[in-house]
Order: sequence, then structure tokens, then C-alpha cells
Amino acid sequence: MDTISSLAIISLAALIHASFQLSVSVLTLLSGHSIGAKHSQSRLFRLTTSFVIGAGTMTLLLLSFFSLLLINIFGSNIPQIVWAVGCGLLIGVGIAVWIFYYRHENGTTLWIPRSMAIYLNKRTKLTKSSAEAFGLGLSSIIGEVIFIIAPIFIATLVIIQLQPMWQLVGISIYTVISLLSLLIVWILVGNRYNLGKIQKWRESNKYFLQFVAGSGLIVLAFFVYVSEIIGSSVGFK
Amino acid sequence: MDLAVDIIKQGGKRQSERFMREKLHASIVAACLSVRAPEGQAEPIANAVCESVIVWLRQHPEVTSNDIRIVATKQLRIHHPEAAYLYEQHRITI
Repeated sequence: MDTISSLAIISLAALIHASFQLSVSVLTLLSGHSIGAKHSQSRLFRLTTSFVIGAGTMTLLLLSFFSLLLINIFGSNIPQIVWAVGCGLLIGVGIAVWIFYYRHENGTTLWIPRSMAIYLNKRTKLTKSSAEAFGLGLSSIIGEVIFIIAPIFIATLVIIQLQPMWQLVGISIYTVISLLSLLIVWILVGNRYNLGKIQKWRESNKYFLQFVAGSGLIVLAFFVYVSEIIGSSVGFK
Repeated sequence: MDLAVDIIKQGGKRQSERFMREKLHASIVAACLSVRAPEGQAEPIANAVCESVIVWLRQHPEVTSNDIRIVATKQLRIHHPEAAYLYEQHRITI
């Protein structure tokens, strides 16, 4: 696979990652608590910025961890069976996202363990300092790992096949693109945008976002399957 | 002013507690401020909602925290629909 195609796959995987909503929900709640507690705009900015940096750091760590793990196991030549497992994971998670991602009730409650949701909700309310907000950002990524594991796994397989310099570029691209939805909310909150409107938009479009995320995973699975498994079988690689 | 009304907490797992007007007032003010309502508007709205909830509570000596949230949301919707929406969404965002 050439570098451009690899970066395209990484970007698509990161866009799918960005369409998952747990971190956005937590950021919305965190902003609401901070504004409601009459914190200054600069403190709100510090908290939300720390949260976004925390989410980015955990994404970077997860991607680096999987890269290190897979490169130690397989080197840069990934067996076809591993690509097949990756495609299976993408399709499985894609179908699960179509069916389960949002709970069938009002609001934007997600199909994550309730204990995790309650924990994040409580921590959001108790977050007062930048360090706590950073930790909350880390935790919010862990909370949705059941969904983001598929795009991260595929992005990792692609990244470890690249030249070392391009590996760093690939990891950076993935991290930045995966934060896009968070960055949009961060900018809106920073510009004193109404949180009610953000939440209303998210609730109105939740099934669309769910469909896009699930479909994106399945499209990515087909692309990777054709490119890595069928392509190498018929000698295009 | 605290009313002699027992509030059964969500899920019934935690001990019930007395109704505290200040707690409800603070949560209504927070919801109003979150939708960027000015503080001068948030305070009277919170007072009006608290009074309505207290009137309702006088007829209901034992209620759940969720009942209070529903009644408060209904009252808040009259004064500030956007704040009421966010207040309602608080527990169903994650």
C-alpha cells in the first residue's frame, strides 16, 4: 500500500473515531457545570482545553501502545489473517454501532456500561482543576474504547507498515482528526455559544451520527479487505 | 426554608433526605446560566420555580428526586424553555 492510500485509511479511521460521542457528551456536561457554577470564562477555557488535551493524549497513547504491541509481534509484515481479523472487527463493531450505539430513549445516553456513565457524570460535576479535567479527558476515551478499538486497530496495522518518519505523521494525523468533534465543541463553548443548542443538535442528529459511524466502519472494512486481502491474493500488492 | 418532605433518592439505594430549597434553587440557576441567561434573569426564575415546586410538595409528603426534577422542569419550561431542556437533559447526556 502506498503512503497516500495509507494516510487516507488512517484519516478515514480517525474520522469514524471522531464521530463517536462519549467525549463530546462529557465535554458538554463539563462546560455546563463550569458555567452553572459561575466560573470565569478563563477557568472554563482552562478546563475544556485540559479535557481536550487529555482526550488527545489517551488517543495518542492507545495508538502508540497498539503500534508497539503489533510491531513487536508481527514486525512490519502483517499476516493476512490479522487483516481479516481487523476487517471482521470493523464489521462487527459497525453492526453493533448501527443497532446499539444510542439507547432508545430521550437524550443522548450511550450504550456503555452504566457504572462508567455514572462515574463520568459524577467526576464531571466534581472537576474543578485543569489536572482533573485532563484526567477526565483520559477517562472519557477509555469509556468508549469498546467502540473506538476497531478504527484504532486498523489505523495501527496501517501505521506500522509505513516508514518510521511517516509513522509519526500517521499517528499525528489520526490524533488530530479524531479530536475534530471535540475541537468544534471546544471552540463553540469558548465563543460563549449556547450549550442548550449544542445538546439539542446532538439529540436531533443522534441517529444520523450513529448511522454514519456504523456505515463508516463497514465501508472501511470493505476497503481494507479489497486492498489488503483480495489485492494481495490476485497479485496487486 | 426546608420542608418536612422526604426525598427518596434515585434508585432508592441512598438514604432519603429532606427537601432543600437552596439545592433546587442552585440547580435551576445553573441550568439558566448554562444557556447563557443573565444572572439577573436566572435568580427570579429559580425563585419562581422553587415556589411552584414547594406548593406542589405540600400535597406530596414523600416523593422521589426524579418527581421533583419533572415538576421543576415543567415549571422552568414556562419561564425559560431552553434552560428547561438542558435541565431535563442533565441525567440523559451520557
